[in-house]
Amino acid sequence: MTGRQSGIANEEEWDVKGLRAIAAAVLMAAIASAADAAAARRVTVTGEIVDTWCYVTEIMFALGTAHHQCAVWCALGGIPVSIKDDDGNLYVILKVEGDDTSVANPGIVRIQTHKVTAEGDLYERDGVRYLIVTQVADDHGIVTLTHDEYGIQPFGE
Amino acid sequence: MKGLCAIFAALFAFGVGAAFAADEWGIEHEEVARIEATVVDILCELTGDCPAGCGAGKRQLGLLQDDGTLLLAAKNFDAFAGAANDLISFCGKRIVADGLLIRDPAMPLFALQFKRLAPDGEWSRANWFSKDWGERYGADKASEWFRHDPAVKGVIAKDGVFGIPGLKPEE
Repeated sequence: MTGRQSGIANEEEWDVKGLRAIAAAVLMAAIASAADAAAARRVTVTGEIVDTWCYVTEIMFALGTAHHQCAVWCALGGIPVSIKDDDGNLYVILKVEGDDTSVANPGIVRIQTHKVTAEGDLYERDGVRYLIVTQVADDHGIVTLTHDEYGIQPFGE
Repeated sequence: MKGLCAIFAALFAFGVGAAFAADEWGIEHEEVARIEATVVDILCELTGDCPAGCGAGKRQLGLLQDDGTLLLAAKNFDAFAGAANDLISFCGKRIVADGLLIRDPAMPLFALQFKRLAPDGEWSRANWFSKDWGERYGADKASEWFRHDPAVKGVIAKDGVFGIPGLKPEE
């Protein structure tokens, strides 16, 4: 075996090692990706589209017709929008039917305060439920009538 | 009443706080917090779907702390506005975020009041939503942007303040 042949053999050996390393890296990435995917759970959520800030902080009454205008302000101001289910759980919307705009999304503003049924992928992280809505299966419109009791939140006009 | 105090604090406290330290807003479960964290695109952080520049302002942003805790930056210092305008230029960078950490049992939230590039950048008030809005529509109306915003006006003109066309407040 000549020195050059020996060199080629070494290169081949290194190629094999390199390929193994790349394959290992790809496998690790795939495992990590699968782990991420496993973190998501398929869910169907029914509830009212609410402004997350006003609802969580309770700085005002933040449900239904009484709060609709403020919810529009907050959504167009870029505050996260959530779905509140009947148990009071909040699901922060990050994506709707392929649209990844979650800051001032006109499509979400259009259904603000509506009761909807949404199917999607749920990610839970550090106390927050994040929802990727794959389909708004049903839009019941605004069903929570609160303005008789609470007027127009927060300023009465 | 407590709620209204918080709203008015957020509305009218511009210029207050020259010491660049967060004001209390009287919200239950709030605590004044100054944290160092990396600004991240939350959708990217959760799913691996990561466009350049954290989505260029159209995605909700979070504060990723060194221990791996992800905080949703839900609010800035402007009335009725979120924190995306304040944070987007810091995408992927470490900042010092000064504000209120609200550890509500329903979910934790962070309300950003000041921010700077870590470790020793220049402080700025977290009011860049109204600054940006003012550049587009007029600075004199920016503090009450929500009363003048064309998109808001369009939605309310179409559906009314209660969201149901034809349903109007009593005179």
